[in-house]
Amino acid sequence: MSARRDSRWERWAVTGPPLAYLVVFFAVPTLIMVMASFRSPGDFGGLAPLVGADGRLDLTLESYARLFEDTVYLEVFAKSVVYALVTTLACLMLAYPLAVLIAQSPRRYRDLLLLLVILPFWSNFLIRVYAWMIILGPNAALAQAVNGVLAAFGAEPVPLLFSSFAVLVCLVYVHLPFMVLPLYANLEKHDRALLDAAQDLGANAWQRFWRITFPLSLPGVYAGAALVFIPALGIFAIPDILGGPNDSLIGNLIKQQFLETRDWPFGSVLSIVLTVAALSLAGLAAWVGRRGGAEIARA
Amino acid sequence: MTQRTLAFPFLLVTALALPAAAADKLHLYNWNNYIAPETVKRFEAECKCEVVQTYYSDNEELLAKLAAGAKGYDVLVPTGNTVEALIKGGQLQPLDRAKLPNLKNVDPAYLDTAWDPGNKYSVPYAMSTTILGYNDAKMKELGLPTDTWAVIFDPKHLARVKGRVTVLDSSAELFAAAFKYLGYPANDVDEKHWREAADLIKKAKPYWAAFNASSYIKELTVGNIWLVHGYSNDIFQANQDAQAAGRKFRIVQGMPKEGAVLAVDNMVIHKSAPRPDLAHRFINFMLDGKNSAELTNLIGSGNPNLDAAKYIQPELKALPAVFPPKDVAAKLEQLNELNAAQRRLRNRLWTEIKAAR
Amino acid sequence: MRSRKVALWTAAGIAYAFLYLPLAIVVVYSFNDSRLNAEWVGFTLDWYRKLAGNDEMIAAAGNSLAIALVASLVSTVLGTMAGVAMHRYRLRVLPILVLAPIAIPEILMGVALLIFFVMLNFTLGLVSVALAHIAFCIGFVAIVVRSRLAGMDESLIEAARDCGATPWQAFARVTLPLIMPGVIAGALMAFTLSIDDFVITFFTAGAGTVTLPLQIYSMIKIAVTPEVNAVSTLLMLLTLVLIVVAARLSPSLLRTE
Repeated sequence: MSARRDSRWERWAVTGPPLAYLVVFFAVPTLIMVMASFRSPGDFGGLAPLVGADGRLDLTLESYARLFEDTVYLEVFAKSVVYALVTTLACLMLAYPLAVLIAQSPRRYRDLLLLLVILPFWSNFLIRVYAWMIILGPNAALAQAVNGVLAAFGAEPVPLLFSSFAVLVCLVYVHLPFMVLPLYANLEKHDRALLDAAQDLGANAWQRFWRITFPLSLPGVYAGAALVFIPALGIFAIPDILGGPNDSLIGNLIKQQFLETRDWPFGSVLSIVLTVAALSLAGLAAWVGRRGGAEIARA
Repeated sequence: MTQRTLAFPFLLVTALALPAAAADKLHLYNWNNYIAPETVKRFEAECKCEVVQTYYSDNEELLAKLAAGAKGYDVLVPTGNTVEALIKGGQLQPLDRAKLPNLKNVDPAYLDTAWDPGNKYSVPYAMSTTILGYNDAKMKELGLPTDTWAVIFDPKHLARVKGRVTVLDSSAELFAAAFKYLGYPANDVDEKHWREAADLIKKAKPYWAAFNASSYIKELTVGNIWLVHGYSNDIFQANQDAQAAGRKFRIVQGMPKEGAVLAVDNMVIHKSAPRPDLAHRFINFMLDGKNSAELTNLIGSGNPNLDAAKYIQPELKALPAVFPPKDVAAKLEQLNELNAAQRRLRNRLWTEIKAAR
Repeated sequence: MRSRKVALWTAAGIAYAFLYLPLAIVVVYSFNDSRLNAEWVGFTLDWYRKLAGNDEMIAAAGNSLAIALVASLVSTVLGTMAGVAMHRYRLRVLPILVLAPIAIPEILMGVALLIFFVMLNFTLGLVSVALAHIAFCIGFVAIVVRSRLAGMDESLIEAARDCGATPWQAFARVTLPLIMPGVIAGALMAFTLSIDDFVITFFTAGAGTVTLPLQIYSMIKIAVTPEVNAVSTLLMLLTLVLIVVAARLSPSLLRTE
């Protein structure tokens, strides 16, 4: 590993700037809010003073205790994990063929195809969601078609809008480029020669994909999955705009703590739990991936 | 990237970061579309200054930002109970009455509130009520009443309009409506009554399409949703849009007979306002009847300014949700602030409601 | 061979259609003769006309573009460094600091940064917003760059060093071209995140700072008029043109040879 040859100076030159930036503009502010989780909410917003009227530090574990007071918070959290998982899997299935197509295209079209993937996302988020409300509306073509089919089977019409379906479709839509781009970045470096050699040796298309392409693309899959799953866990705007009455997620709950309830300590607690859980799941997936990848490589 | 392409973003940023020509600036932090553009232009001409507007869409967003220490704003436009929170949080500076001669134009019924006695910090700007909005053709077809909260809380009525009703995604507003329906005051703090209201809401929830405060007006106007719990301004606008689009139904404001929440938005000055002098001039300007009326004519908001009456379009004055007659006004209540413990309880119940199946 | 190509093209085609159907509606509705973004009524150019006279909206769009350009540039540089560092060295702190901003709820980060800036007496404005955006964009770039480096042949770099290249030369001439698709992917993601960010921008913007998302989200409770569709369409076209121009001006850097 060339890392061993790198001098201390080299190491710091590469690690230093991003580390410094993140410490100043992320770690320090976040620590302030982590501290807030041990404080009490101010009566009219914000936080209660750190030093109470009696001159003692006003720190408490009350907000953490509330988390376990009732299972409802864990239920909402579990629902968010499910939504995020479904979103990630759906994104993977949609993004993979797209990334393969772009990676295998002639060089002169590649950049354009990539740009075409991300172009829609430079329009504003709200109007894209509104566009989905139009597509999923009860009088639009899609809903009429689906309910027509259901009616043929004698079933009740289902609303496409203001439902979990609408939330999931929109979640997948909003996160798709963040799966396509990492996958593409990985697939682009695959050597066609490997696949040609395998084909010469008699492997069919499925075998070539499953034994060569997919395992090699795993780092890209994990990168994409991380960049979809983790943000999707914390989303709140989509349920707010087109979710049904049962689609409140942990992101909505956290937002409520900072806004309607003005309970910043509890909001911090929920945020910390969410962050720790997301990072742990990502770490777990990476660990499993390393083990699994090694097994596939051995096979 | 080449030098040229690197230079461009930096130049752009520098150009934007450089302070503009030293014009006098008034920083107004307001709801979007809550002041008529003509009014702003007229004020700018009169004071020879520039009005820099930034926006928020929720009182709580304003509170959170100020609680975290943001400054640079002169005039804010919070709703009644938010003014209470701002006063108690020490975020406002007192108004100089001498600079506000037009204050005499305001209807005394809206002055001297419990949370700002003597109007030390705030003056009323505009009002709205939180009521029912409905598609008149559909409601007639279904034979549903439109003057009672029962139509969004009673499963007997809801069964006929299932999946076509939305309620506001605001625990304060929805609980207040539930209290009014149950016959309690909107500002009830009895825990038993809170739980009663929560149970009522849970029973009605399966019939509702969504808790929505952001896109319900659109859906009402197009005809996808037939009945909403919403703000009178929005419902007024919805009808204007529906008529402009040539729809075959009207969107009507329904004032429930049990009463409703009244929201009075006020002009206040932030404690570290850079230009309190301009701020006072602006407030006095907006207290003039003609200027005040422009907003009402634009969006159908209620108006606490008596001098504005002669400038307001007559069809607006006929709307009970906008200009409530005495008997309706008696049943309207402004929401009070809750303390931290009460807010926690409300959020706890709200989370249960949202998670309930 | 042909049927596999057809299958691939069909699957990719479905994905592109999924991506572009809402966008088509956005663009088409910018010509819609109705204040609401809800149903087609008739054709009009009014919204583009209104936009031309709407200084506020145009300034907001300009701010968004400027912040996004700066934020994506800086976060791409820092993120690439972080990605390379995470791949090469056994680090403990940096991976967490890189991943955490992606996980942390935006509202917490927004409030935290605001409190932090206020504590430092740092004037809020465009710069504070850009600094905030860079913080959460670094992670996206770093993760993509690291995944691109995974399994990369170190012998090439060793060989370059053996031939007498300095560390910078080894990086610029060997590593960077190899990871360029990852860097570009990261830059595109960072740009996208920055140009559309609302929550963090809301809290870190100054009293006179309006970006396009701030302007638009404040309309969320009233009506997001087709003027927003118009400005979005134009902004997309403008950004596309900027990128194509930039690519033409520096072809050697963006090609992966």
